[in-house]
Amino acid sequence: MNLFESIRMAINSIFIHKLRSFLTLLSVAIGVFAIMGSGSLVSSFDNTVETEMANLGENSFKITRTPSVQTGHDSWRKYRKRERINYKQYSKLKNKIGDMAFVSVESNQSNMTIKYSEFETDPDVTLQGTNEVYFNINNRDVPKGRPITEADVEYDRNVAVIGNDVFNKLFKGIDPIGKQIKIGKQKFEVIGVLDEKGAILGKSQDNQVIIPITRFNKYYSNWWESLDISIKAFSKESFPYVLDETIGALRTLRSDQPGAENSFEIETNESITQQFSGLTGYLTYFGLLAGFFALAAAGVGITNIMLVAIKERTREIGLRKALGARRFWITMQFLVETMTITLIGGLIGIALGFLMSSMISYFLGLKVTIPIDWMIISITITTILGLVSGLYPAFRAASLDPIDALRYE
Amino acid sequence: MSKPIIDIKNISKIYQMGSQLVHALRDITVTINENEYVALMGPSGSGKSTLMNILGCLDTPSSGTYFFNNTNVRELNDNELAEIRNREIGFVFQTFNLLPRATALKNIELPLVYSGIKKYERIEKAEEALRSVGLEDRMEHKPNELSGGQRQRVAIARALVTSPSIILADEPTGNLDSKTGNDIMRLFQTLWESGNTIILVTHEEEIALHAKRIIRLRDGLIESDEINNNQVKF
Ligand SMILES: Nc1ncnc2c1ncn2[C@@H]1O[C@H](COP(=O)(O)OP(=O)(O)O)[C@@H](O)[C@H]1O
Ligand SMILES: [Mg+2]
Repeated sequence: MNLFESIRMAINSIFIHKLRSFLTLLSVAIGVFAIMGSGSLVSSFDNTVETEMANLGENSFKITRTPSVQTGHDSWRKYRKRERINYKQYSKLKNKIGDMAFVSVESNQSNMTIKYSEFETDPDVTLQGTNEVYFNINNRDVPKGRPITEADVEYDRNVAVIGNDVFNKLFKGIDPIGKQIKIGKQKFEVIGVLDEKGAILGKSQDNQVIIPITRFNKYYSNWWESLDISIKAFSKESFPYVLDETIGALRTLRSDQPGAENSFEIETNESITQQFSGLTGYLTYFGLLAGFFALAAAGVGITNIMLVAIKERTREIGLRKALGARRFWITMQFLVETMTITLIGGLIGIALGFLMSSMISYFLGLKVTIPIDWMIISITITTILGLVSGLYPAFRAASLDPIDALRYE
Repeated sequence: MSKPIIDIKNISKIYQMGSQLVHALRDITVTINENEYVALMGPSGSGKSTLMNILGCLDTPSSGTYFFNNTNVRELNDNELAEIRNREIGFVFQTFNLLPRATALKNIELPLVYSGIKKYERIEKAEEALRSVGLEDRMEHKPNELSGGQRQRVAIARALVTSPSIILADEPTGNLDSKTGNDIMRLFQTLWESGNTIILVTHEEEIALHAKRIIRLRDGLIESDEINNNQVKF
């Protein structure tokens, strides 16, 4: 009697006892679904954060007035009093560390409308003011035309690099380089088109226009708005030194008292990833917990269902023993039967979990990842579940007395 | 002298029912040789099935010794008993005991599955057994597509398929009408004539008369054990 034979007998009996099998399959599938679904959703999330959110690149950090992910209800009180980061602070900082690091400045205005001749975009374009090193620090290319230069910033030129969405909307098939677009009341000359980046967390990275920070500050910024500064050390070795120097310089520039906290935030790739990993850790924990409870319930259910099945099939077991089935084979028969049902349930759960997490990922604009690790975890858990919940009923079946079993009505 | 297959001495079987002891068998001594055709006769409750279960290695006696093919059954463990049942004993039950969802062929294959015989060989042997009970055209039929007599034939084929030393049949005609019962008895006669050893349990005189030797039980005791000089043959 081989394994294949046992599995075939098991599948037969699944089809014979349809309702019972369906309930078992369902309970296992729900548990595995919870584990697999949350697990793979978290995988997609982590993957996205790692590859796209943390796009600062190596040796880089960012300075902002307030943190990008705020937690705690009193944080607003704490950050409200902070002085804004202004252009003067940026220039002085750049003078101080410009020979060890790239220093870029960023400020933006969302919901802008861009016009070209009779075409115009929806009022959802992000206008970004920055300088010449922005492209380097953020790993963005300008395959068509050229990026913004230091001279553009210094001489207040009305030039713009447009994102791919804006390009598609305004310049259908036309070469945009040298064309005049209108941003609000101001005219800008298109000098380049950014490489395509896709969406992060549902937000397109291509629906933007970049202009020199000096122009931005003049026409589109309000006096109370704070600038962001991005810094990239020239080398890995100098990174800690650059970080130290920057903090020191900024504290002086912003007159932070000795012993007082920084009046600004420093964010590195790690600190951003960390902020998210707290969130995803919670989701994983929740999914696993829900899954384990569902599976524990499923396990009890399977054990009971198998005990009922064995009771119903007492005479069959007696007959098999009379015909010479050893204990081992009776044990195997019922164990394989339990395992087959649970594994089928597990596979359904994996498929549904993956489907759901893919759909959510898709709608959130996350990268859909095939979570091999979570599949392996789910299959392992299902196998253990089948073994644990099937072992006792199988032993019970195998240790039935053949005569009592044969006589059972 | 022919070879003894079953050799029991002073066997008793006592069941405990609450505080009461039931002596199902008392001091039974019997030897059964190769190619005998024995009927175990007696009224209901006389201990026939109990004796038969012991002979079939499904049950163990409370006292006494049992040698099966010169092997002391008492010394065998669970798995060794299963192996003896599998290879040496063919059971035929009153209620047929076929697997309802399996075809005739699959039912007959089952004991061969447990002796670890390869698929193609199993099918060959199962087909041969079906032919020997005259059901070669019913191989793919399930039990509920067969008549009672045909079901019992399938069960007999299943008992034969391992070429056992002995066939034990407990009231094999009990659930059949008399004409079908006769057909089954004719089949047993054929099997006996071709060299099989058969023990038949029955409470009907008519059925017992087909056997060559009749052992009569009453209240767990052997009342008589003699050659049947009026054997009814077909
Ligand atoms: N498992 C059991 N527990 C208690 N008493 C039993 C059991 N099996 C049989 N008996 C008793 O043993 C006696 C013989 O039973 P059995 O061998 O079945 O008789 P028969 O097959 O001749 O009708 C009966 O009195 C019966 O009640
Ligand atoms: Mg009986």
